[in-house]
Amino acid sequence: MDFDTYELDDAVYDEMFLSDGTPREHCRSLYEALLRLPVEELNRMQERVTNSFSNEGITFTVYGDDEANERIMPIDCLPRILTAAEWRQIDVGLTQRLEALNRFLKDIYSEARIVEDGVIPVDMIRGCPHYRLEMRGVPVPHGIYVAVCGTDLVRTNEGFKVLEDNLRVPSGVSYMVANRKAVKTNLRRLYRSCRVGDVENYGGLLRKTLRELAPSDREEPCLALLTPGVYNSAFYEHIYLAHEIGAALVEGRDLLVNDGFVYMRTTSGLKRVDVIYRRVDDDFLDPLVFRPDSLLGVPGLMSVYKAGNIVLANAPGTGVADDKSVYAYVPDMIRYYLGEEPLLANVETHICRRPEDLEYTLDNLDRLVVKRVGESGGYGMLVGPHATPEEREDYAKELRKNPADFISQPTLQLSRAPCMIDGQAAARHVDLRPFLLRGHKTRIVPGAFCRVALREGSLVVNSSQGGGGKDIWVLED
Amino acid sequence: MTRYLERAGHLCHLLQLQVETLVDRPLREIHFGWDRVYKSMNQTPLSGGGIEKFASDDYTLADSYTLADHLTFERLNPDSVRNCVAYARENARQVRNHIAAEMWISLNTTYLRLEKLDIQKIWKVAPESFYAETIEEISAFAGVAEATMYRDEGWRFMQLGRYMERAQLSAAILLAQMEMDRRQDGSFDTDWANLLHVYHAFDAYVYAFSVVVQPDQVLDLLVTDLSLPRSLYRSLESIASELSAIGPGPDSRSSADAAALASRLCQLIRRDWREKEDREATLVQVNADCRKLHNLIYEAYIDYPIEESPIN
Repeated sequence: MDFDTYELDDAVYDEMFLSDGTPREHCRSLYEALLRLPVEELNRMQERVTNSFSNEGITFTVYGDDEANERIMPIDCLPRILTAAEWRQIDVGLTQRLEALNRFLKDIYSEARIVEDGVIPVDMIRGCPHYRLEMRGVPVPHGIYVAVCGTDLVRTNEGFKVLEDNLRVPSGVSYMVANRKAVKTNLRRLYRSCRVGDVENYGGLLRKTLRELAPSDREEPCLALLTPGVYNSAFYEHIYLAHEIGAALVEGRDLLVNDGFVYMRTTSGLKRVDVIYRRVDDDFLDPLVFRPDSLLGVPGLMSVYKAGNIVLANAPGTGVADDKSVYAYVPDMIRYYLGEEPLLANVETHICRRPEDLEYTLDNLDRLVVKRVGESGGYGMLVGPHATPEEREDYAKELRKNPADFISQPTLQLSRAPCMIDGQAAARHVDLRPFLLRGHKTRIVPGAFCRVALREGSLVVNSSQGGGGKDIWVLED
Repeated sequence: MTRYLERAGHLCHLLQLQVETLVDRPLREIHFGWDRVYKSMNQTPLSGGGIEKFASDDYTLADSYTLADHLTFERLNPDSVRNCVAYARENARQVRNHIAAEMWISLNTTYLRLEKLDIQKIWKVAPESFYAETIEEISAFAGVAEATMYRDEGWRFMQLGRYMERAQLSAAILLAQMEMDRRQDGSFDTDWANLLHVYHAFDAYVYAFSVVVQPDQVLDLLVTDLSLPRSLYRSLESIASELSAIGPGPDSRSSADAAALASRLCQLIRRDWREKEDREATLVQVNADCRKLHNLIYEAYIDYPIEESPIN
């Protein structure tokens, strides 16, 4: 194949090429291998990769107006490559961030010193719908609220930046592994010669992490993965992870509380559960404490949790730390709890509950990305430069009505990477979501779920909005 | 999962035989076939009307197309082949981490193939080859399961589901045949020969009896012959054997009742079938008892009262 029509733009960082069109040094092997491959072969490879996802049912669900549609996760067969040095920067930066976020959660659910010391305004916490009063004073094993974290990073010409912390039920890790399996088998010779860091041991590390959090008196702790069920968007991931960590895949109706412990029904009787890796939102965990109409949770679960007889990963209430408004304060948290400067920068964020930020946002709607603090998955978002004047006007009305529900950020020029589009290499915007695990120590596999905005010019990488996935190869030293 | 696949496979086989009759068999036989399929499924043809008796060739073919669509692809028909495969796949997704990857891929591939098809596409060429291919894929799934699955409780329950469904389908098709035979004041030899084909039992019949098809002998073979893979007795024996291998469930009373009922059903066929005057009534009883058995198994192993449950 050739890159004759591949588009480069000085304003946008390209993951493979320098601005003069020469490949970056660490991408040279891939570049040369691609040059040698006839385009027909690359098309066949793309087809094989897509078919493997289709046959294996690697899907996600998009909720439409009428029904939930199961869709195959689109995958691009060309890997994105990061150097070991780049990865080290990400690793230490995210480790630092997760440490601060865990300390923040422990603090605000106990003494709330950070509020008392005026680092974060109290209304920022109280106004957050994910702040759980029920978690005040609840001891959390080892103080680890967030055991599994998936942080969205973007790269611009200024370097890597954190776009979002996902601290409740981050998903995407199964696609990271599936992408790797599919791509490496199709580029086997290149993969072998490149010495790429392994991501397929993620399940083993997750299992180790969850076992470290288990009550110490349980020699062989029983793990369960709590799923909302087969219609959940990430059900494929739930099956995959349950298998990888040797946990029973359960729904709320499979679990019950009896005599202060959680049990699961099996065909040979009840079995005590020690750790629940829950993929159900707080709201639905326990109808006796949170939403009473929830059928997805387990009545009485929170009472067992408070008594220390079950571990929930992640802990309830972690959503307050990944709220889009609170996000703006994470650099301050790092300084406050760790006495260090953040190693990874945040994206400049305007919190519209502040009058001056609201005014700035309204004045610059055509240049900003505006997000609802409570939404995720790319829903409820306005990408100013791509919106029509009418769309911006409608959005402005919403903003004025409930400013506290919104934040705004500059429209970032996310980096681009080559993707196979209609039989040709074309530049598409990408981000990455590495996954961190926190047990007795912080663990991270060298790789991430790389999301791609497959539509030309689009900056929205979410799979529900037309995004797809891509393998990331982190080269070893 | 296996219940749905057994149903899908059975229906495909019935439809394969049925569309073959469309080529050169008399209208009466075609009508008999459609009626038997619908009766055995306890359904009435579309809008309660369905096929017009003894209409012209053209009408019969047009009606057959509609009925085949209803039984194969109709999303509103819970027993259509497409839906059975979709439900089986959904069940398989839920237990995907307990089954081999090859099993999942085998079933998922069948599902994806069906999703791309409709009656127009399969009717254009040779519908019987579509049904044959689907049966082959369902059999391949069973083969992959046989070759890959660890023989634990999961395997036993899968087998149990398959035999429960097979027993019920078997009793239902025999009942449909007998009812139509009674109502029409005797059916034709070809209808009984066709029934033998439904069970893959024609050669066995010829070997055991003769090429002359006698309804009573057909019934005896299909109900009581333990060597016939799909005979009713073999299915019931397999149910009893799987239940015994699984052992008592958390609800000991229901599991004991289930084992006893399975054993009684075997006895009913083994000891009493040939002496029974009213064989239709016996099959009705088997059918009803199979439903009862299903409920007992559910109570014994799934929906048991937690107060009495052992803690592991």
